Amino acid sequence: MPDAGALHPERAALAPLLEKLTEAAGTAFLEAVAAPDMDELAIRPEGLLPVMDLARCHGFNHLLDVGGVDHHPLTPRFEVAYHLTALSANSVERAGPILHPPRLRVRVFCDEPEPAVPSVTHLWPSANWPEREVFDQFGIRFDGHPDLRRILNPDDFVGHPLRKDFPLRGQARRFVPGGRVGPIPPLETRR
Amino acid sequence: MSTRGTTLFADNPDVQLAPGAEQDTLVLSMGPQHPSTHGVLRVLLRLDGEVVVSAEPEIGFLHTGIEKQAENLLWQQAVTVVDRADYLAPLSNSLCYVLAAEQLLGIDTIPPRARVLRVMFTELTRLASHLVWLGTHCLDLGAQSIFFYAFEMRERILSIMELVTGARMHQSWFRIGGLAIDVPVGFLDAIDDFIARFPQRLADMRAIVEKNVIILDRLVGVGRISAEEAVAWGLTGPSLRATGIRYDVRRAHPYCDYDQYDFDVPTQTEGDCYARFVVRLNEMYESWRIIKQARDRFPGGPVTIDDRKIIPPPKTEIQHSMEALIHHFKLVSAGFNVPEGHVYQAVESPRGELGMYVTSAGGNKPWRVRWRAPSFYQTQALKRLAPGNLIADVVAIIGSLDPVFGDVDR
Repeated sequence: MPDAGALHPERAALAPLLEKLTEAAGTAFLEAVAAPDMDELAIRPEGLLPVMDLARCHGFNHLLDVGGVDHHPLTPRFEVAYHLTALSANSVERAGPILHPPRLRVRVFCDEPEPAVPSVTHLWPSANWPEREVFDQFGIRFDGHPDLRRILNPDDFVGHPLRKDFPLRGQARRFVPGGRVGPIPPLETRR
Repeated sequence: MSTRGTTLFADNPDVQLAPGAEQDTLVLSMGPQHPSTHGVLRVLLRLDGEVVVSAEPEIGFLHTGIEKQAENLLWQQAVTVVDRADYLAPLSNSLCYVLAAEQLLGIDTIPPRARVLRVMFTELTRLASHLVWLGTHCLDLGAQSIFFYAFEMRERILSIMELVTGARMHQSWFRIGGLAIDVPVGFLDAIDDFIARFPQRLADMRAIVEKNVIILDRLVGVGRISAEEAVAWGLTGPSLRATGIRYDVRRAHPYCDYDQYDFDVPTQTEGDCYARFVVRLNEMYESWRIIKQARDRFPGGPVTIDDRKIIPPPKTEIQHSMEALIHHFKLVSAGFNVPEGHVYQAVESPRGELGMYVTSAGGNKPWRVRWRAPSFYQTQALKRLAPGNLIADVVAIIGSLDPVFGDVDR
C-alpha cells in the first residue's frame, strides 16, 4: 500500500488547521489522531459548532457523511462521525485539474440518557437527511435541526433499530388488514 | 432547442410564494408507484399550476435494515448482504466493504490477478448500471428503442457475470483477501468478445439519443445546479462532475491500482440534466478503456492471499491435511477476528462516492457498517432541484440523478 503522505501532500498541509481546530474545541477536545485513512478529531458535542465552523471556513465545504455508532456498553455510548472533504469550486472548467482533496473526520461522543448533538444543517444543507437518519436509527437528538423526523422507519415506529440493545428479530410488528398494527407473537409459538 | 427551461425558471433556488398564496397551491403525491420514480420514491409536490413550488421526497419504503444485518453476520458472510444495497451495482458495494475490512486487517497486498479482476468487474458493473440508467431514463422521456439497445448490451455483461460468478445480479464474488473463485475456462473469449463489440454499440446508442431533438428539449437547461450548490448538497459522481468539478474517488484516493490505469474523468460545466446525461455517456467509454487495459495486463497466479487464517484452504488440501481441515472448520464456524479500529473506505460507484465507515470491536462480526450512500444525497438534492420546474421535468430530474432505492434506503 503506498504511503498516504506521498499520495496526498495535502495531508501535511493540514497540521496547522488541526491545531486550530483543537484550539476551537477548547475543553470539549478529546483527541486528535493521524489515522491511516485521514486525520481525525474526537470531541464532545459542545465543541462541534466552533470546530465545524472553522473547518468550513478553511475549505472543507463538502460534508461527505454523518453516521452514528453505538459503542454499548462503553461510555460515552454514542459516536457521531462526520466526514468532510474540501472540493475547490474554483476549478470549474472542462479540462480543469483532477482534484486530490484532503479528508477530515470529526468524531463526536455523546452519552445517555439524552444523547444530543448540535445540528450542522446551517453549514451544509446536505446534513439534513443523514442527521434525520441518525436520529431515526440511534435516537440521538440534533439540536437546531429544522425538521427532525424519522426518515427510514415509519413515523409510528417504536425504538431505535441500530442501537445494540434493539434485537435483530422478535420485536417486530405485523401489519394486519384494515391498517391497524398488531404485535408479532413470540417466535416459539409461531408455526 | 427549447428555451423553456433556461429562461422562464432560470433562477430557481427559491420560488417563494407571496404570503397567503399557499391556498392557491395544490399538493400532489407523486409515487411511490409512479413508474418514473425507479423503485419506491414518493415525492410530495406543491404545485402552482403545473410549476413545482416545493418538493419533499419521502424515502424508506425499501428499508431492509442491511446495516443491522451486517452487524449480525461474520465478517466474510456480510459480503452477501452488503451486495444487496445498491442492486444495480452490487460489486461496487462489496468492493468497498472488502477494502475496508482488508484495511482493518492490515492486508496491504492482494495478488495482482485479484486486483485486476476486481477492477475489471467493478467497471463492468458500472457499465451495466449506466446501461440500465440510459435505457430507463430515456424510457421516462418517451424514447423506446434505446431501451432495447441498452438492455441487449447489459444482458451480455450479465452473461459474463453469470459465467464467472454463477449469479447474474448479486454476485457476492469479492472476498476479504481476494475473490471467491477464479475465472472459468472461456472467460477470456467472452470478455474479448464484449470488448470488441462495445464501442460500436456505444456509438450506436449515442447516435440515437445524444443529439435527439426531443431529448435535448427535455434535458437542456432543466434541473440546473451550480458547482457551489452541488457541493453544499453533497452531490458526488456524475452529478457533481456535470457541474465542472473533477472529483473522482478513483483518482483522488486510488484503490485497486486505479492510479496505474489510463483513463479520463469526463466533466461538463452546465450542471443541468443534459450535462449529467453526457457525463455518464462519456464515462461509459472510459470504463470500457479501463476494462480493455485490465484485459491486456491480466496476470496469472492465485486470486486470494495465502493466509489460512482468512481464506479457507483448497479442497484438495483439506482432504490430506488435518491442519487445513481445522482451519476450514474454524473459518466456517467462527470466522476470523478483526483488530479493533475504524476506517472510512470510499470507492467510486456508478452513482458517486460510495463510502463505508466500518468499525470493528475486535470480534468476528463487524461492529458497525455505516454506508455513505451516494443515492441518498442525490435524492435529498431533489428538494433543491425540482422547485421551479414543471411536473414533467421532475421525471427527467429524477432520472438524471440516477438514484437506486436499495442504496437510498438500505
